[in-house]
Amino acid sequence: MDRNALLNQMLYRMEEVFWHELSDCASWKTEYVGIDFIQAQDIKGANEDEVIRSCIDHIKASGLAQEVDFSITGNDILLKLQVRGCQLMLKETLLRKGGIKPYSCPLANMIRDQLIEKLGYETTYLADMAADEKTGCCALKVAIYATPEKIGAVSDWSKE
Amino acid sequence: MQDILDVITSRKSIRRYKPDPVPDEMIDKVLEAARWAPTGENYQPWRFVVVRDQQTRNKIGDLARVGSGSKMTAWYCLGHMQERFAGIKDPVKRAEVLRFMYSGEVSEFARQSPVVIAVIGTLMEGSVDVPYDLSAAIENMLLMAHAQGLGGCWVHGPVATTRDAKKFKQILGIPTGMGEYKVIAYVSIGWAAEARKHPRPKKNLEDLVYWEKFGQTERPRHG
Repeated sequence: MDRNALLNQMLYRMEEVFWHELSDCASWKTEYVGIDFIQAQDIKGANEDEVIRSCIDHIKASGLAQEVDFSITGNDILLKLQVRGCQLMLKETLLRKGGIKPYSCPLANMIRDQLIEKLGYETTYLADMAADEKTGCCALKVAIYATPEKIGAVSDWSKE
Repeated sequence: MQDILDVITSRKSIRRYKPDPVPDEMIDKVLEAARWAPTGENYQPWRFVVVRDQQTRNKIGDLARVGSGSKMTAWYCLGHMQERFAGIKDPVKRAEVLRFMYSGEVSEFARQSPVVIAVIGTLMEGSVDVPYDLSAAIENMLLMAHAQGLGGCWVHGPVATTRDAKKFKQILGIPTGMGEYKVIAYVSIGWAAEARKHPRPKKNLEDLVYWEKFGQTERPRHG
């Protein structure tokens, strides 16, 4: 039995029905998915760069993904993640085949959680998720707000 | 008796309020209307937390500003907000509307609203689709407020994410366990300090209704 395929199929069915119930709000409600794993790790870091790198190290060591690159731009509120070799790509593929744009990333949730828990970030928001099963790469745009004053710090992310 | 359709079609969401207090009798009628909403298996899962304390309302307003602003800032950066408000031709006015949205100011009016009523549902006493029951109660509340000459607004922003919903519960002392109470929104109530353009554009019934089968737009002769 392919245990990873089974896990992906179960997550797919959960996310499918969740989307059916909540449409766009489904993404907002699933931000805790994945945080139990990262909270059980010893994530260290005095700033966002260190915390994110520590999260990525643990994600890779666990085999959840092969590579995760990141950058922070856009007035320091745009966290761009590039994930390759993700163990959850199958669920995204199944969702897309069912006509649903992938909307929930446990890996991104882990990093978001640790920015809040370890650095006291005000809030975060998964703004965009582009999973490409052909290239095996998933590109994510995550809005990260260190303080309430960062709300409204707009820029054009298409140029970032 | 006032035609119920007149009440329904003249209601609008009010986000600017006068500081004048709302008499208890008027609040009671709003709550009484909520109590009579339809509910699956007559479970009546709704509970209401009526908030008039300024400091508490400030906290809710702040939470709502961050909740809405964090999303709308991202939507603006992605270009979605500009598309949504492209209909506003005056560039200065459009820019101000957009700033009002992505700053989150659009949702922080709990600070000014004299009454905020949190609408929550118990998940511990038997329930059938709690959010639907609560939504029906909210509609009754808004219509009752409007019928009394009050303004009101259904606000989802501060509880839209799981983490924000927990913060909202903590502000009001609501148990935070996911198996205890679900919070779906709050309703602001007060005397309107704005005269919004009305009616706002609504889709025609012909674009919304099918007869006998999905997709069949022509009304068949009946009887």
